[in-house]
Amino acid sequence: MTGPILSARGVCAGYGDFQALFSVDFNVAPGEVVALIGANGAGKSTFLKTLAGLLPLRSGTVEFDGRSIAGIPTYRLVGHGLAMVPEGRRLFDGMSVEDNLRVALDRARSVPEDTPEWTLDRLYALFPILKEKRGHLVQSLSGGQQQMAAIGRALMSQPRVLLCDEISLGLAPKVIREIYDLLPEIRQSGTALVLVEQDVSLAQKAADRLYCMLEGQITLTGRSSDISREEIAAAYFGVHRAVG
Amino acid sequence: MQWVDAVVQGVLLGGLYAQYAIGMALMFGVMRIVNIAHGDFIILLGLIGISIATAWGLGSAGLILLLVPLGALIGWLLQHSVLNKVIGTDPIPSLIATFGLSIALQNFMLQIWSADTRSLSGGTLSVASVSLGPIHAGVLPVIVLACAVLLTGGLDLVLRYTAFGRGLRASAADHNAATLSGVNTKEVYALATAIAVGILGMAAVFQAMRTTIAPPDGGAQLIYAFEAVIIGGMGSIWGAFTGSMILGVAQVVGFRIDPGWGILLGHIVFLIVLAARPQGLMSRG
Repeated sequence: MTGPILSARGVCAGYGDFQALFSVDFNVAPGEVVALIGANGAGKSTFLKTLAGLLPLRSGTVEFDGRSIAGIPTYRLVGHGLAMVPEGRRLFDGMSVEDNLRVALDRARSVPEDTPEWTLDRLYALFPILKEKRGHLVQSLSGGQQQMAAIGRALMSQPRVLLCDEISLGLAPKVIREIYDLLPEIRQSGTALVLVEQDVSLAQKAADRLYCMLEGQITLTGRSSDISREEIAAAYFGVHRAVG
Repeated sequence: MQWVDAVVQGVLLGGLYAQYAIGMALMFGVMRIVNIAHGDFIILLGLIGISIATAWGLGSAGLILLLVPLGALIGWLLQHSVLNKVIGTDPIPSLIATFGLSIALQNFMLQIWSADTRSLSGGTLSVASVSLGPIHAGVLPVIVLACAVLLTGGLDLVLRYTAFGRGLRASAADHNAATLSGVNTKEVYALATAIAVGILGMAAVFQAMRTTIAPPDGGAQLIYAFEAVIIGGMGSIWGAFTGSMILGVAQVVGFRIDPGWGILLGHIVFLIVLAARPQGLMSRG
C-alpha cells in the first residue's frame, strides 16, 4: 500500500486563547479521496487551515510527502503541491476569470513529465462554462460558476493534495452534483482530495474514507462503505441515536 | 485665452502631482496603507540628489537613474522592516508607524541639511519653452507630464498583463486567498512599496529643478498626493493621474483668479469631490 502523502499526528491548534483542535490524527494517500464530516464548529475548517499553514500548530506534526511542514509559509506549501479551495470561494474580485486562474498558474510547481499537467485548455475542457466566461469579472458569475473557478484556480497550482473546504455550501443540488461528478477526473492524475463536507450522504458517496469530527477531535474514522449511518450519527452528535 | 492657458499650465503642474500620487495610490490599493511619510521621501531623495549633484556634478538624467533605484531600495526595506509588521485590517498601526517615520525623517533631514532651502540647477532646460500659438509651455513641465503619462501607463500595463501585476491585484483583493494561490504577499507588498518610493526618486529631481526644497516641505507634497488620490479614487492608478490633473488645473486657475486662491481652490475642489463622491471620480464603487 502507498504511504500517506499528507499526515497529521497529535495536531493541536486554535485562535488566541481558544483551542479548537485536540490531538487530531489524520492521513491521506496519493489519489485517495477523504472526507471530513462534522457539525458546525466541529473544527473541520480549522483543521484544513492548519494543514494549509494558515494557522500555526500548537503541538503535533504535519508531514507532506514525508517531510515536516510546520512553520513553512502557505505560499511555499502551494509550491510543493498542497493547494486549498477556501470556504466561500474567495475569488479575486475585480479580476477576470482567466486572471484568477493565471494567478495560480504563474506560480505553479513544475510537474514530472509522466504526470498530466493542468493547463488552461485542460481546465476549460473540465469546466466549459469557465472558457465561455473567461473574460468576465468573477463577481458576475453564478455561485456554481464561482465554485468551479475556485476549484480551477487551485488546480492551476498543480496540486498533489487538494484541500476543499465546503465546496457545496450555498449551491443548488444540481450544481453540487455537477461539481462532485468531476472529482474523479481530478483524482485520476494522482491528486489526493480532502473534502470538508456537512452533507454526510454526499461525503460518503464521494470519499474512499471518512473522518468524523466533534468538538475538535476525531470521533470516527474508516472506509466510507464500511461505516453505518448509526455509527456516523453517534460520532457526529456525540450521542448514540438511531437514524430514521 | 488666459483661461485656456491656465488649464494647460494646470495640466502640466498635474504631471508633477501625478508622480507623487500614483505611488500613494498603488500602496493604498494593494495594502490599504496611507503612507504619511510619502512627502518626506520626496524631500529626502531631492536633498540627496542636490548633495550628489553638488559633489559630483551629476546631471538631472544621471540623478534620476541613481535616485529611482535608491528610492526603490528604501521602499523595499521600509516594507520589510516596518510596514509588513503593522499591515492588517486595522489601518491605525500603519498610520501611526508612517507618522512616526515622517517626524523622524524630518528631524534627520534637518540634522544633515539644516532648514535652508535648496534647489537643483536645470540649466537651459529650466527656462526653455515651446509655443503653440498664444500658449507657451515650459519644456521641463512638458517632460514631467510625459514622464507621468509613461509611468502611469506603464504601471497600468504591468498590473494588467504581468505575473507580478496579477499577484499584486490578487493580494489587494484577498490577501489569504492570494497566499493560497502561491503568492508571497509580503514580497509583493515590498515590491509595491519599492515601486511607489522608486517613482518618488524621479519626482524628487523634477521637484528640486522646478522649485526650492527644504526638510519641512514634505507635508505639502503629501497633501497634494493625498488630494489627487482621493479625487481620482483611492487605489486607482489612472484615477490618481486624473485627480492630479484636476488638482493642478484647480490650483493654476485659482492663482489666475487671485494669487492667494491657488492652493485654496485645490483644497476646495478636493472637499467638493470628497462630499459629492467620496469613493472618487474613477472608482467603480
